[in-house]
Amino acid sequence: MNLILSGLIFTPLLAALVVLLMPTRLQKPMKVTALLGTLVQMALSVLLYLRFDGSAPANGHTGYQFVEKLDWISFSLGSLGRFQIEYFVGVDGVSISMVLLTGIVGVIGVISSWTINKNVKGYFLLYLLLVTSVMGCFLALDFFLFYLFFEFMLLPMYFLIGIWGGPKREYAAIKFFIYTLVGSLLILIVMIGLYTSVIDPQATAWQMNLIGQGIPADANVIRQVQQMLQQGVISNADIVRTFSIPAMMEPANFIPGSLLHVLSGVSLFDLPIRFVAFLLVFAGFLIKVPSVPVHTWLPDAHVEAPTPISVLLAAVLLKVGGYGLIRIVYPVFPDAGAYFATLVGGLGVLSIIYGALCALAMNDLKKLIAYSSVSHMGFVLLGLASLTAEGVNGAIYMMFSHGIISAMLFLVVGVIYDRAHDRMILNFRGLAKRMPAYTAFVVIAFFASLGLPGFSGFIAELLVLLGSFGAPEATGMLPRWLAIVAVFGILLAAAYYLWALQRMFFGKYWIFPELREKASISDLDRREYLMLVPLAILALLFGIFPHLLLDKVSIAVSGFTELVLLNGQEQLNMVLSTIIP
Amino acid sequence: MEEQAAQLTQAIDSIISGAGTLLPEFLLAGFFLLLVTLDLFKSKTIKRLLPWLALTGLFSALILQVIGPPASEGVQFLNLLRSDGLARYASILFSVAGISTILLSLQNRKIEKRRQGEGRGEYYALLLMLVLGLNLMAKSVNLLMVFLAIEVVSIASYILTLTLKEEKRAVEAGLKYVLYGTLSAGVMLYGMSFFYGLTGSLDYTLVSFWQSLLDANTLMVTLAAILVFAGFFFKISAAPFHFWAPDVYQGAPMPVVALFSTGPKMAGIIVILRFVAAFGDPSIAASFGDIQLFLGVAALATLAVGNLTALWQRTPRRLMAFSSVSHAGFLLMGLMAFGTNYTSSILFYMTVLLFMNFGLFLFLQMAEEEWQVKKLEDFQGLGKQAPFAGIMALLYLLSLTGLPPLAGFMGKLLVFSSVWEAYTLSGQPLLLVLLVGGILLTGVALFYYIKIPYYLFLKRNQTEENLVISLSNKLLLVFFGLPLLVLFFKPDLLLHWIEKLLA
Repeated sequence: MNLILSGLIFTPLLAALVVLLMPTRLQKPMKVTALLGTLVQMALSVLLYLRFDGSAPANGHTGYQFVEKLDWISFSLGSLGRFQIEYFVGVDGVSISMVLLTGIVGVIGVISSWTINKNVKGYFLLYLLLVTSVMGCFLALDFFLFYLFFEFMLLPMYFLIGIWGGPKREYAAIKFFIYTLVGSLLILIVMIGLYTSVIDPQATAWQMNLIGQGIPADANVIRQVQQMLQQGVISNADIVRTFSIPAMMEPANFIPGSLLHVLSGVSLFDLPIRFVAFLLVFAGFLIKVPSVPVHTWLPDAHVEAPTPISVLLAAVLLKVGGYGLIRIVYPVFPDAGAYFATLVGGLGVLSIIYGALCALAMNDLKKLIAYSSVSHMGFVLLGLASLTAEGVNGAIYMMFSHGIISAMLFLVVGVIYDRAHDRMILNFRGLAKRMPAYTAFVVIAFFASLGLPGFSGFIAELLVLLGSFGAPEATGMLPRWLAIVAVFGILLAAAYYLWALQRMFFGKYWIFPELREKASISDLDRREYLMLVPLAILALLFGIFPHLLLDKVSIAVSGFTELVLLNGQEQLNMVLSTIIP
Repeated sequence: MEEQAAQLTQAIDSIISGAGTLLPEFLLAGFFLLLVTLDLFKSKTIKRLLPWLALTGLFSALILQVIGPPASEGVQFLNLLRSDGLARYASILFSVAGISTILLSLQNRKIEKRRQGEGRGEYYALLLMLVLGLNLMAKSVNLLMVFLAIEVVSIASYILTLTLKEEKRAVEAGLKYVLYGTLSAGVMLYGMSFFYGLTGSLDYTLVSFWQSLLDANTLMVTLAAILVFAGFFFKISAAPFHFWAPDVYQGAPMPVVALFSTGPKMAGIIVILRFVAAFGDPSIAASFGDIQLFLGVAALATLAVGNLTALWQRTPRRLMAFSSVSHAGFLLMGLMAFGTNYTSSILFYMTVLLFMNFGLFLFLQMAEEEWQVKKLEDFQGLGKQAPFAGIMALLYLLSLTGLPPLAGFMGKLLVFSSVWEAYTLSGQPLLLVLLVGGILLTGVALFYYIKIPYYLFLKRNQTEENLVISLSNKLLLVFFGLPLLVLFFKPDLLLHWIEKLLA
């Protein structure tokens, strides 16, 4: 069995254990250990990326590569059959980009943390735990495992913001914790509903003695089990319920009579219960994305978090939200996904415009970038809602590209904050005179983020807009005006970035008098180059050669859109037929 | 005359034949008497031995229960007690709770100091009596027996609350507890007499008992049921009979509080569970809806009151009092999932609750005695000064909240799953309301539980010197913490066992 995925998840955990066992005064070796841990993880993620076969067929519930599947928890529910949780990890075109991103940003974060000198042991311990759980989230294919990693991100983050953060850190930390916990509780409700409704055909076949224990079932046996299930001839005691996400994507695996079965006919608040479930789990991930109106935790968390944690938060943690929508919400509830496409796309466009307007109004450079994140994540929602191949490819591309670019943006904010202990836009003028190299990177980062052709952000926005423009004809999903409004978001992005650039960096050099005593305005040092140069290269590389990423992603995306569109329409008709007489 | 004699012989025979399954209880009673007797001697050596004797008693009872006599489905003692798997597992939990209480007491300076003075043995003897009462509660299938068992527990509890009687708080707590307690006992007995009058029977596990209730005047039955459940709710501190909890938690010694938050609560839930389980019989299953509505509303109210009131608490003891109210709500909610395998979910939840509560109360006891923590603010910066204790406290609190990777999450997941399953089966909207309400209140729970780690780690103290924790305390913290991790990653180990006992 290939253990590369476990290696990816547990390397930082191993490093965390080493850090834990080190005596407190060995600060430098701890940093080196953390760096080594994340470097190995990055090497593994690059290796995985290169070895991943992007041309292999994938259709949503199959086509996972490097799969590892082990029994974890399994117990009998008496007359209600069995229930099983597996250690089930795998990678497909959707997750491969996120894995690569996490690997890269993990290392950048450690380099950026080099100047941390307050309680170093605790810091790197939490940092490594955080990286472990993010990676676990992107690789888990068992809902329980996913949820475990998803929830486990909260705690390290709470402490990283709460202990090492800025002046209002306690408020920001608790706000972050409560918001995301409420989100994950909404997901929990649906997770419970799903696992009590879904069987694992493979394990059920073993339980029924259709095939010998441990012998993998072929497609015929699986189909036979599914048919028997739908006919209701499998006795309760033989049913094996599962948390497996791929199993949840097949309507044939739902137990007839269970609430989330397409034909259950149960409705709540005049909506079919599957739609309610979709809305709950969608809201749960929406908080993480974050989208307007549940985004307010993000600016607070970003402003108070130390630079490396902001980098990690913007670059990878937010991606878990969008990833969850693609991995779980849409494939499991394609009917509701099709039904609510306008809502999803509308929230996306609202985030794009509202986030951009807020960014325009900000005086704090870090808050400006935080709101620009909200705006960019809106494109992910819009692309996804279109359900066209271009749109979904664009959504994934946006997540990847935003990961690279937002890491850069928060790093450049960190640079000025380290020097002046302040980051108010109006307190600085003409920085380009004193910090030319720094200004160059700021310009690169800003232009990459506002979608200048040649940078990865451009490809992402282009794909999303193409997808959503074409959606009315291709999939019949979104009204055209949504895409048109979204374009204004790009204009606004240009406005807030260029305005900030003009105010802070151009003109005669001046900084606010009270800052002058403490500030030592010097240009970038070697450590900062080490972080910014690779990110800038990546942003350019993926902007000029988009196929580097799309080759790995697009087959899985086509599988995804086909699954969601075909199953979605079919299931939508079934669901509606049971509700409307 | 002959007939009577024959009946008597028969009765004695049945008592004797059932005695075997009650060996752990006899053992506890024997050790109780032994402790009381030994306490009369003035010898220092004997006094020093008392807690260890109590520990031996509980430990041997535990071993007997674990390997013990195969659970017999039959009833003993003239239909008063039933030693089935449910009772056996519950008794195991009670013995563990008793052992943990003694371990905590040995670490408690005030209790230890009292041991040098007067009345040393009574504390440990009363603990044994309380555990004995709990065991009987779990085994009772007869209303009278339930009442007697509850009273045994209550009387022991009243005195234990007053252990530190020179403290004003303790006296206040003790008095309030006695007043509320006797009132609720009286009310419960009154309700039971109604039941008896309506049915002519005290054995509430009999189908005929319920059938005659169904035939009787609805108003009378409802009234009687409310009166009886008032007594039960008092014991498990469910709303609206939870008012004693914060005061008692504030005044009683910490080990006793830990015991109150687990033992009697679990035993009360088992008693209600036996009530609910009677509806498993198809002939009366249809009328479960009414009692489900009643219990469901109580569960929701308890959850809401516990979680929302906890938000405003300023001292760790009161916070934990309302936390324990909210856990009573969760357990009641588990009972709602009637018709699924809810029993094992509840027993699992109780097991987890036992470890996390004792662990956290041990931490609170350390904080109170060593670091003079009275209010939540006093935790300020302690996490940095005593990182090990701080991290263990964090672990318990997260488990209480129900976050992975800790067993508290598994417990909640199992309870919620059974409720969802029950909703699928019955389509009862109340269950869905409970499920969603319960899950969302978990979010509220985080808000108050996180207050302690907030002060521990996020706030800083002027001094940064390291605080020393004794090795025995460290070991105990690990002892209560380890099961929480193990039961998250391998809950099936315990669940298999529970299922086997219940089968």
